[in-house]
Amino acid sequence: MSLETKDLLMELSRIDAPSGFEKEAIDFIEKQVKDLADVVKKTRLGGLIAGVKGGGGLKIGIFAHVDEIGFVISKIEDGSFARLETVGGVDPKVVLASEVKIYTRDGPTRGVVGLLAPHLQKPEDRKKVPMYDEIFVDLSVGSLVKSVRVGDRVVLRGDPIELNGKIVGKALDNRAGCTSLIKSMELLRKYKTRYDVYYIFSSQEEVGGPGAATVAYELNLDYAIVVDVTHADDAPPFYEKISLGGGPVIGFGPSVDKDFWKKIMDIAKRNGIKYQKEPLPGRSGTDTDEVQMTGIGVRTALISIPLRYMHTPVEVVDPSDVDETARLLTHIAVDLEV
Amino acid sequence: MYLKELSEIPGVSGDEDKVRNFIRERIESKLDEVRNDRMGNLIGIKKGRKSNGRLLLVAHMDEVGLMVTKINDDGTLSFAPVGGVDPRVLPGKRVRVGEDKLGIVGYKAIHLQKSEEIKKPPSYENLRIYMGFSSKKEAEKEVEIGTYVSFLTKYTEENGRATGKAFDDRGGCSILMDIIDLNERYDFDVYFAFVVQEEVGLRGSAILMEQLHPDVALVLETTTAGDNPEIPEYQWATHLGDGPVITFAHRGYVADKRVFQVLIETAVKHGIPFQMKRRTAGGTDAGRLARRGRGVPAGVISIPARYIHSPLSIMDLGDYRNTFELVKRVVEDGKIMEEVSG
Repeated sequence: MSLETKDLLMELSRIDAPSGFEKEAIDFIEKQVKDLADVVKKTRLGGLIAGVKGGGGLKIGIFAHVDEIGFVISKIEDGSFARLETVGGVDPKVVLASEVKIYTRDGPTRGVVGLLAPHLQKPEDRKKVPMYDEIFVDLSVGSLVKSVRVGDRVVLRGDPIELNGKIVGKALDNRAGCTSLIKSMELLRKYKTRYDVYYIFSSQEEVGGPGAATVAYELNLDYAIVVDVTHADDAPPFYEKISLGGGPVIGFGPSVDKDFWKKIMDIAKRNGIKYQKEPLPGRSGTDTDEVQMTGIGVRTALISIPLRYMHTPVEVVDPSDVDETARLLTHIAVDLEV
Repeated sequence: MYLKELSEIPGVSGDEDKVRNFIRERIESKLDEVRNDRMGNLIGIKKGRKSNGRLLLVAHMDEVGLMVTKINDDGTLSFAPVGGVDPRVLPGKRVRVGEDKLGIVGYKAIHLQKSEEIKKPPSYENLRIYMGFSSKKEAEKEVEIGTYVSFLTKYTEENGRATGKAFDDRGGCSILMDIIDLNERYDFDVYFAFVVQEEVGLRGSAILMEQLHPDVALVLETTTAGDNPEIPEYQWATHLGDGPVITFAHRGYVADKRVFQVLIETAVKHGIPFQMKRRTAGGTDAGRLARRGRGVPAGVISIPARYIHSPLSIMDLGDYRNTFELVKRVVEDGKIMEEVSG
């Protein structure tokens, strides 16, 4: 049974799967895709491949990373406080006065990132942002306080909500991408494909890890489309802003293949898909960078879903962007001519 | 204990109606008289058997929060604090806008910040609430300037601790309601005042004296713990788990010595753990009451709580029970009345 885009986004946002601990997200996705693919298998590094057989010949891989940013416990103090180290880039400004979930060997427990009440602050305290050497977690609010150990994984809590048709939650970077892959697989069932298409839900992107590139190697891909998120409604002043709700964002630069990029633009136009363009003058900061340099080289493309407030517990995506991305991915898989 | 319900109700200073209605509904049948006064304070009276004195118990209904000050061209909202809200607790939070709408306080993605921006605290000038609108026109249909905004936190109990918003001072409100629930009649009159606008300068309590003329007043508060790991023990204001907090002095008022002594003696007599508030920062309605009319001897008992004035504070449930126990004994014993009339 397939979930609506909105519901799928919310379900995936709820799952805690920081880099290296993707299992729960992968298991959930496996359930969603097992009837949509000919072959479903876990990868050596904790990802998932769902392959749809075509006429043979070329192999196209469509990637989305499933991992999210998070923390790891780095120190326990006085038995009921802990310090954090980040996994991926987390702005210290978005963690204060938040609830965290800590995955201990005995099960999950709660914690609160505390901040001294204003009554007791010194004037100089107010002028600075506590960094991770000062930020602490109060473990006393969880029943497994005694089970917390250095090395336990931690995520910020933040239940998904809907705001005027948009979805807000944590980890939408890149569960939005994962959602578009699942939706694309549903759409693909209506077509016969010329090529073998592999949907890859990869691990460890947020730490610049090996999850995607190793799969590109294993599958010996000819083409790869990486689906990730990009900043919406905010950009450095010398960049064009990308709009939430403005459709999939097609990236262009050294980390993507020029011909593949052109073909994707044509496919989008032919199928009436509203898209936005993003210049990527150097590295893209996504799995595209690594995948391109795999084996004898892979022809890559980067398609991004616009997202507000990246790497905060209130990331925002517009489900219509996710649906349009799914449609574009499916058309590429079906219409690509080489 | 009504802490869960009280904590989850929005009631920023000046917008306490929902809290007041909740309390009024539950105390009305248990008291001899219940009324709302001109500023919105809720006053309940339990007449004494002898009516030979007047004890006033006070807790404030309001909580700190935010107010919409501007609707921006991009459909986001600018806002200012109502009461003391450190802007550093806001980025990344879900908030309630007005009665029942939702919003989020977003923040520029870390990738787009320059290194000096990462270390710069957020300020009310650059924080915005996003509600999913993409233009001013769209936003104006749903929100107006002056709309109250409150934190949105579910109350949770685990490991003997409660977490939630607005414990300051729904904790005190809940204890007053527990005392009312005892349904006891004492020799003297007991006035229960659930007051407004404490967080914006001890304002609601200012009009109690002229209405009630109490002989003695006891303020029930939720006070800051300040026992954070970065702070040496000698600087802690209070410590979670050590019991009710008795104040000897705070901004603008030294607790009446007789009242202060009765609180301590009562705790000792009944074996109730207690602690002193070791810092004198901050004020309570006791300070306001003492300087209205002819003044009134007043004392303060507080439940300690960590991280107050943020969306997520922590209270120890043992402290709550012991605070209730102490207040109950103080009222029952009646020594507080003898001391001030003698």
